[in-house]
Amino acid sequence: MAKETSRAGRVYRGLLRLLPFDFRSDFGPEMEAVFHEQREEAGRKNGRPGVLRLWWETVAGIFRTAPAEHWAMFRQDAGFALRMMRKNPGFTLAAILTLGLGIGANSAIFSVVNAVLLRPLPYDHGDRLITIRQLAPTMGLLDQPFSVPEIMDYRAQNRSLDALVEYHQMNFILLGRSEPERVDTGVVSWNYFDEFGMKPLVGRAFRAEDEQPGAPAVLLLSYEYWLRSFGGDPTVVGKSFTMNDKIHTVVGVLPPIPQYPNENDVYMPTTACPFRSGKRMIESRTSRMMSVFGRMKPGVEVRQAQADLASVAANLQKTYPDAYPANSGYTVRSSSLREELTHNARPTMLTLLAAAGFVLLIACANVANLNLARMVKRERELAVRAAMGAGRVRMFRQLLTESFLLAVIGGGLGLLLSWGGLNLLVSFAARFTPRAREIHMDGAVLVFTLVVAVLTSVLSGTAPAAAAREALVSSLKEGSGQSTMSRGRRRLRGLLIVSQVAFSFLLLIGAGLMLRSFMKLQQVDAGFHPENVLTMRLGLNFTKYNSDDKQRAFFETLLDKISAQPGVNSAAASMTVPLGDAMRMTGDFQIEGETPAPGQSLPVGHFRIVSPSYFDVLRIPLLAGRVFTKADRPNVPVVSVISSTAARRFWPGKDPIGKRFSPDGGNTWAQIVGVVGDVHEYGLNTAPVEALYIPLAQNPLSDGSLIIKTAGEPMGIARRVIELIYEIDPNQPAARVRSLEQVRADSVAAPRLTANLLGLFALLALTIAAAGIGGVMALVVNQRKQEIGVRMAMGARPGSILRMVLGQGLALAVLGIGIGLVGALGLTRVLGDLLFEVQPTDPLTFAGVAAVLAFSALAACYIPARRAARVDPMVALRSE
Amino acid sequence: MSSTAEMTESHEPLSPAMFHVLLALAGEDLHGYAILKEVELGTAGKVRLSTGTLYGIIKRLLNDGLIMELRTKPSDASDDERRRYYRLTALGRETAAAEAERLDEVLAIARARKLLKKARTA
Repeated sequence: MAKETSRAGRVYRGLLRLLPFDFRSDFGPEMEAVFHEQREEAGRKNGRPGVLRLWWETVAGIFRTAPAEHWAMFRQDAGFALRMMRKNPGFTLAAILTLGLGIGANSAIFSVVNAVLLRPLPYDHGDRLITIRQLAPTMGLLDQPFSVPEIMDYRAQNRSLDALVEYHQMNFILLGRSEPERVDTGVVSWNYFDEFGMKPLVGRAFRAEDEQPGAPAVLLLSYEYWLRSFGGDPTVVGKSFTMNDKIHTVVGVLPPIPQYPNENDVYMPTTACPFRSGKRMIESRTSRMMSVFGRMKPGVEVRQAQADLASVAANLQKTYPDAYPANSGYTVRSSSLREELTHNARPTMLTLLAAAGFVLLIACANVANLNLARMVKRERELAVRAAMGAGRVRMFRQLLTESFLLAVIGGGLGLLLSWGGLNLLVSFAARFTPRAREIHMDGAVLVFTLVVAVLTSVLSGTAPAAAAREALVSSLKEGSGQSTMSRGRRRLRGLLIVSQVAFSFLLLIGAGLMLRSFMKLQQVDAGFHPENVLTMRLGLNFTKYNSDDKQRAFFETLLDKISAQPGVNSAAASMTVPLGDAMRMTGDFQIEGETPAPGQSLPVGHFRIVSPSYFDVLRIPLLAGRVFTKADRPNVPVVSVISSTAARRFWPGKDPIGKRFSPDGGNTWAQIVGVVGDVHEYGLNTAPVEALYIPLAQNPLSDGSLIIKTAGEPMGIARRVIELIYEIDPNQPAARVRSLEQVRADSVAAPRLTANLLGLFALLALTIAAAGIGGVMALVVNQRKQEIGVRMAMGARPGSILRMVLGQGLALAVLGIGIGLVGALGLTRVLGDLLFEVQPTDPLTFAGVAAVLAFSALAACYIPARRAARVDPMVALRSE
Repeated sequence: MSSTAEMTESHEPLSPAMFHVLLALAGEDLHGYAILKEVELGTAGKVRLSTGTLYGIIKRLLNDGLIMELRTKPSDASDDERRRYYRLTALGRETAAAEAERLDEVLAIARARKLLKKARTA
């Protein structure tokens, strides 16, 4: 009977494809014949219904048989593979370790990417939340907070939002626990948590009546603060504490969901905040300190909300031309909260994911090479099995099963590794995004790891298995030994080595660029000396220190006491610690004798309130005039010291000393008495700003920092300073006690950690690749022992043999470096955003990395090369 | 019965379908389609094997050495070249007999317990 060509026959043959290849090739044609006869008989006897019944039984039978046959075969292959793995513990261990590191790196980074970039926000309707900011680009203002009247206007006039809520953060002192405690306090609209879809874990949320003027003050606790300070005791709801000289009652506890924009200890409605509820704050359109969030109505897109809010802005500008100068470019910008929360993290996380992917590719190439090397030893076994009738597909499957088992075990190891490193990763990611707390190992990470493991087994197993197949074909055809099969395989091995080197080069370049960038950042002259300086934050209880005199007296007494301490060189108070706080106090001011042209806005400066010894403590150089002295009191003319950038910008080509400016519309005029050097206030990678320093005595502070120059280790004196504070006021806590060097180090922690992680990946890659080159050269030497013996017998010197082997290894490395170089030139552009003053094609980095890689390759080849040079020609030839 | 003991030690027990295939081959050497027909006839149509099930069984019986494939086709087999003929091996015959005996003993117990009225004659 001819081969089945009917449609039924073709369908049946298609069905047979579900069965394992071997089963199919053993029984397929026979099964087709039997089915053909069955069908004819069923049609003859029972007509169409009979044929349909037969089809039903046949399909069901195949579906029952196929999984069982596949499983039986896998068990057989796996059992064999495990035996082989036990027989080669060295290979097995190396492969599992390599794959484990590669897969582990990917699982770990994926767990971060998944939590931070892929998963939706943990809030109900998280995709409808937007942040809104005001900007006046021509005045240099790109992220202005909102004032109370502005919030009211935007809330009343927008048509695209369900809700518009406000937020600002304060530091208050909470009394009623054993010690006075400074608590980070979020001051929010009553429906703030409704908008975010957060329901309290215990107690109730805020209600509209809580935000009425004069309503009893209420508090919500954050979950973490509740656990930390109250041990998760639910009876804390209903308890009262004193804050700002008022009784505050706890009404509820928030769930453990990341808080945005900051993590706070407690939350209160706007009316409970003494600043926010002040008359001036409520009435002034330009007293801006609140952040604003909106929830878009269902179906509204960010684009539409933006257009709607921009039209409100245009309307406000028309109604209040004084508050929004015509040429300021005033408008609002809305962006999705998700974008807002993650855009800082995105470039770094994606770079790391790519790096982890490269590490895995290198690991795959390396295991593939190990597999190939092992093939040489297994050739006889494979040939015997082929001779005994094992099909090629069967052997292919067998080899792939081995790779699969290795990858799965490696994947398990990788999961353990990434699980172990999770805490480190969370604190790393926290430098970039508030979503870091959402990072954990979950189903998605497990599935990802499994998929990666399967891909890995295919990548690391296919090439060697295919090579083995090819080798068998040629050996069976030509009946010859190893030499003929080796050529294709040698090329494959070289290819794998070259690709390992190329990917390592990419990783090393990435790490090298980040490292160079970090070094440049470290070399930036911050404009001050951080050595031996202690800093701590000191926020006065402003209901107690409620006048300029009281605040001034507190700081002056405290600074005198601290300065008198042994071990203290000098002490200062300041509004901020350079590189320490993101807090900006910008304001516009009038330069005496200059009136802005109509429609022009006033200049904007960065105001800093400091005590006289500030410049001395930080060693900020005086360039002209004088710094503040104790004589600069409230009753004498107001003075100011400005930074050299401010001098250049506002008094270009003039001597600023003696010039005057007014920050309050001409009521007071400050006279410039000195010019000091520039300081990087906001970050080493941010240009110095136009700083206008005001003496603390003339403009007291309620919330600032102590900055103390010590003779020795600064932290050694911290305890004593806190005791001195308690001596003046036992209810006055200090916070964020750090040395200024620590502050500086923290400010570059993100780029440092990124450089470290990339460096770790690159080192891993370099090690794997070097081990790969060395291993392959060792194998080559081993295989060519006889040839080398012949060469030596014919007079070749050990030195030339050494050079020959080294040269071969180096040739592979150089080829890899060349390919890596081309790839790097294309790829490093994506790193541009992460780099500081380093070009993505920095020649020094490229040259250095190429040298390191070439040297590593040489070093790795040296051992096999030396062994080759020591080959005893007699022994080598005799072993023929 | 020692062979049965060995059997159960080294192999999984016979499924009813496998037993039917062994029984079908107990009479004469058959090709696949003939086995199907024989099983169906022998059980009065109660057991109908699909091709997938049948060849899953044949593969196992071959592996276990209970049946063998005939190298040469019977002289009258001028039919489809794809057909292969199978024959019960000595081990297969022993195994089938042991299984039959086991079933016979079970039946005897069932009769003694009055679960079956009387012996049916084939």
